[in-house]
Amino acid sequence: MFRKALLALAGVALLSPASAQTLDEIVAKNIEARGGLDKIKAVKTLRMTGKMTIGPGMEAPAVIEIKRPQMTRLEISFQGMTLVQAFDGKNGWVINPFQGNPNPEPMSPDDTKDAEEQADIDGSLVDWKAKGHTVELVGKEKLEGTDVFKLKITLKSGDVRYSFIDAESWLEIKGEAKRNIRGTEMETEQTIGDYKEVGGMLMPHSLEGGPKGSPMRQKITIEKIEIDVALDDARFAMPAKKDAPAPTGRGAEPPAGLGTGFTPDASRPTGK
Amino acid sequence: MSPRAIALAAACAFAFTAGAQDVKVDADTFGGLEARSIGPAAMSGRISSLDAVPGDRLTVYVGAAAGGVFKSTDGGLTFKPVSDKHAMAIGALRVDPKNPKTLWIGTGEPWVRNSVSGGDGVYKSTDAGDNWTKVGLENTERIAKIEVSPQSSDTVFVCALGHLFDDHPDRGVYRTKDGGKTWEKTLSVANDTGCADLAVDPQDGRIVYAAMWQFRRQPDFFTSGGPKSGLYKSTDGGSTWREITKGLPEGDLGRIAIAISPVRPAVVFATVESKKSGFYRSDDLGESWTLQSQAAVTGNRPFYFSHLVADPKNLDRVYKGGTLMAVSDDAGKTWSSLGGSYHPDVHAIWVHPHNPETLLIGTDGGLYQSWSRGARWLFVGTLPLSQFYHVSYDRAFPYNVYGGLQDNSSWWGPSRKGGGILNKHWDSLVGGDGFWVLVDPKDENLVYAEFQGGNIFRIDKTTGEMKDIKPSPRKGEPKFRFNWNTPMHVSPTTGALYFGAQMLFRTKDRGESWERLSGDLTTNDPKRQRQKQSGGLTLDNSTAENNTTIYTIAESPKDANVIWVGTDDGYVQVTRDGGQTWTNVTANIPGLPKGTWVSEVEASPHDAATAFATFDGHWTGDFKPWVFKTTDHGKTWTSLVTLDLKGYAHVVRQDLVNPELLFVGTESGLFASLDGGKVWAAFTSGMPAAPVHDLQIHPREGDLIIATHGRGLYILDDLTPLRALTPAVLNADAALLPSRPGVRLIPGSLLAGGDGNGDNEFSGRSVGEVAWITYYLKKRHVIGDLKVEIYDPAGKLLSTIPGNKRRGLNRVEWAMRQPMPKYAPGAGIIFSGGAFFGPRAPEGEYTVKLIQGKQTHTGQVRLVADPRVTYSETDRKLQQETAWKLYADVERFSHLVAEITHGRDQARARAEKLAKGDALRRKLETLEAALEKQRVALVATQEGEGISGEEKLREELGVLYGNVNGNEGRPTQSQLDRREALLAELDVARAKFEAEAKAFAALSKELQAKQLEPLTRLTEEEWRKTAK
Repeated sequence: MFRKALLALAGVALLSPASAQTLDEIVAKNIEARGGLDKIKAVKTLRMTGKMTIGPGMEAPAVIEIKRPQMTRLEISFQGMTLVQAFDGKNGWVINPFQGNPNPEPMSPDDTKDAEEQADIDGSLVDWKAKGHTVELVGKEKLEGTDVFKLKITLKSGDVRYSFIDAESWLEIKGEAKRNIRGTEMETEQTIGDYKEVGGMLMPHSLEGGPKGSPMRQKITIEKIEIDVALDDARFAMPAKKDAPAPTGRGAEPPAGLGTGFTPDASRPTGK
Repeated sequence: MSPRAIALAAACAFAFTAGAQDVKVDADTFGGLEARSIGPAAMSGRISSLDAVPGDRLTVYVGAAAGGVFKSTDGGLTFKPVSDKHAMAIGALRVDPKNPKTLWIGTGEPWVRNSVSGGDGVYKSTDAGDNWTKVGLENTERIAKIEVSPQSSDTVFVCALGHLFDDHPDRGVYRTKDGGKTWEKTLSVANDTGCADLAVDPQDGRIVYAAMWQFRRQPDFFTSGGPKSGLYKSTDGGSTWREITKGLPEGDLGRIAIAISPVRPAVVFATVESKKSGFYRSDDLGESWTLQSQAAVTGNRPFYFSHLVADPKNLDRVYKGGTLMAVSDDAGKTWSSLGGSYHPDVHAIWVHPHNPETLLIGTDGGLYQSWSRGARWLFVGTLPLSQFYHVSYDRAFPYNVYGGLQDNSSWWGPSRKGGGILNKHWDSLVGGDGFWVLVDPKDENLVYAEFQGGNIFRIDKTTGEMKDIKPSPRKGEPKFRFNWNTPMHVSPTTGALYFGAQMLFRTKDRGESWERLSGDLTTNDPKRQRQKQSGGLTLDNSTAENNTTIYTIAESPKDANVIWVGTDDGYVQVTRDGGQTWTNVTANIPGLPKGTWVSEVEASPHDAATAFATFDGHWTGDFKPWVFKTTDHGKTWTSLVTLDLKGYAHVVRQDLVNPELLFVGTESGLFASLDGGKVWAAFTSGMPAAPVHDLQIHPREGDLIIATHGRGLYILDDLTPLRALTPAVLNADAALLPSRPGVRLIPGSLLAGGDGNGDNEFSGRSVGEVAWITYYLKKRHVIGDLKVEIYDPAGKLLSTIPGNKRRGLNRVEWAMRQPMPKYAPGAGIIFSGGAFFGPRAPEGEYTVKLIQGKQTHTGQVRLVADPRVTYSETDRKLQQETAWKLYADVERFSHLVAEITHGRDQARARAEKLAKGDALRRKLETLEAALEKQRVALVATQEGEGISGEEKLREELGVLYGNVNGNEGRPTQSQLDRREALLAELDVARAKFEAEAKAFAALSKELQAKQLEPLTRLTEEEWRKTAK
């Protein structure tokens, strides 16, 4: 009975206005909610297996691997072919077989920045000062009817991210990003959810992203997360080029959205 | 605290609050049930102000008359709304010239036509429009200009026009010296005289000019000018002011526009409205003035066009807003109207300070750019600012929507279109200002549309033929009085068309003749019939002030003899005998101020005695909502207004299915009630709080069609879940709600890509080829699974859809398709749209499971046929069977390729473990080579940068499957024959592999003798587990 009452009180505390929360407290509670700093930092590698829903009814198996200190590899398969995007801590590269090129190519600097961010296994809020980021508390607000703390994260690269921390569970439920692509600002948003316990930590199993204000959405559903599976560094390093035969003949162009590595067109204004 | 403990605590917190009290319905209850913007931006809408920041890329800010602020960072090509959480009517917009990230907006439009929206003060942004803070002057209603002092960014002048419809002290010139923290009013003339323009000397911020204007709008009259109007000057930074009269006209003045020449600020220009309006010039810092011209353009509708801009480089060049934009190249002595193609009615002008050949203008029809000083123009097609008065629909599939707009004629366009609803999909009708457009229910090719003052036409959409059908007085009848926005109404019972002047008309022969169904139903008060004198100093009889007219008509869908009429002078009249006798029920409405404009009467679709009415008092300064309901033909009325309902009301609608579900459109947006009007909540999902002037519910689709006056049309698709949102559902933690059946739309071109027409086009959001699953969550879902599963009638899991997690309603899309077949790896994409998907589920009932953590909620979704399909059931069955057969063929083929590859790789791996020259190794290498040869014969393998176009069995089978799967009619004989041919090839390939595989057993024995792993076959089950 006592325990029940205590939990009920804890619930009330969680629901009460928490305007006095400082940035450090919010970050600390977020890390605690995820499972605590010790557990997070003990993770050496992560492998997430799931599927990406590119549009209604169009699904592609996806695997994301991350390894300390700063390596990542993403694979998305479509019609038996696999797109690879990876970062080895220094250089990003991509294999995009959908246009008939089996060879790895270096990523553009803008894409590399993204890969570098993805390679941060702890997330940008952990040790943000040491990483050279700046984090500010924008304030407490309602996100789609839910109380959240909005944090502004200015990455070391200068790019800005917003993180929305649920005021009840202290977990991140949404992120927003402003990217500068060849001088043009692109805003994206990502809904984060379906947190489930993995190795004593709470990890999101659902990510849904797209251009801000647009109905275009790519959904990633994670079916399995493995911690500390053996991942050779070689998986993240750019492999040597294959010897490609000279192209012959002509055929059809691949459909829009596939040839570009699943990047939706964010430039056309859309209704919302 | 461990994550488990947190999850537990969160769950307990939830349990603790659940059931404690009823859940309050608010804007977030509607959650992810979003209205979609369909534009149009083909005609755009009125822009009241604009500003821009020169640079390598021009940044453009557009202040819309009732659509908020839009920003472009690509030179004015594409835009995004940046102030949607705040007041929608933008009067003034100014970028701080010294700190271009600092923006000021004054809300409430100063171009005070009849259909004009007010605001709620001044906002400031210090991050280039990302975030806004309201900094005061809430009661000014409308702001004409904001200027930042050239000496200090903290010193800002606000030229507040103030209230349009009533006396109010909050108007005049306000100044802040601390960046908006505090304000002082430094120039105030009278409670009916506001600031219409203001200019600050760009070199000496102490010199400020202000135009004070005496004006008033009434429901039936407009007055511009009076003895209190005048031009004022300050030489101490706006602290003290004195009136300037030297050289200006004698007698009453009206609206004045001011422009200081940036080339020589001692030169000041002004247009001055008076008995004889003209353009004036001062060469002595505004102390004395000389008349330059009284050309017609200088006195063109001063209340609407008093906007002057002096060229930044040429002292003699001045631009003036107007019906057409005017320019003088000799400092105002002579004037020309600019040519080229642009929408008339220019309110905002921006001249590039470094390259004055470049102009931006804001008009009644959107934004235009010129790079030739106004000789030629580019229309910016990305601003959905359309200002609809009304909206309607037809019954085509998919249906079209119709509506008339402020100064933009009447238009119709599709409610959905694969690839987005683009500007090119819209067509216009009639011309002028548009209002009602109604489709003849018996022949949907015929539409009725009108322009202002009751000019109604019947139009044949197929030929474009247009016929005037306006009723005219017969001998002995008085002159007819038609409202600016004359009401039409189609009988829901007979299809007859109603039309209203001071009396009610009805036609049963498409406008060839009109019955009189009443005498004068208005007050017929001669004091309200002064439109011929309306305008003040400048006569302006556009029919905008026509009054004592019928404004709204509604026949009861339950009883054709019950007809309601509401008038602009405050009468609600009802007949119960088809128009023979009328009862004025106005006096029965409690608390309603006399003479309040009846904006809408809605006859209940459920009960002949029930009606709803909205009243619009803003015409006399009453901005409160008035919404009433009667259930006894108007004998008694109950107010449905609560504190949650905001803004004066334009329209009320009762749902066609659930009588408790009501919608009200007000000047402050859309509101919904789930309980017959006891509790209201703003509906803001997917749409801003722009003025909502009309609402319609599509009877077949159950869509709510929303007409905003400033942000175009929105569609809230499928009200079915809202109809089911009962208190029991609202109090449940989660609930699956019904949705309308999913229509198996005829598949469009799944490969249709961008048309390459550029980015100068707004794309209205459409609806995909999907069925909806809708559910309710009492709070946001964060921890654990949230997904939707679809099962066929046999209980087979067809699809798993990731769930949305918002508090309130959530909607996910089911493509009605299973995943595509597993393809063998090859060198390129199988190029057929239908190859990206599995076959579509047939018509029928499917079971839906909403899985939230350990809870499962079960419901149904039904799939129905597209009503347009022409093929027979037999043909469609053959298509389904063939598609599924080909699906299986593709997978059989893919398994074969996987087996070949598996065998090849095993042979290689085993061979590598043997010494070179070993006989077994040689055998294995031979096998490897043979299998690789087989693989290469079956799948495209040419890799490289080019387009190989290589087609092997993988590609041929895949494309055939895709093409059959992409059309749901009978497969062609060619396709059926081709399948037979390809299957023969597949059989041959399988036989070849089996022939090689015969050797596996013997080789395995030899391998095992050498302690090596045998060769294995890849079973189908193993392949399915690993295939990507």
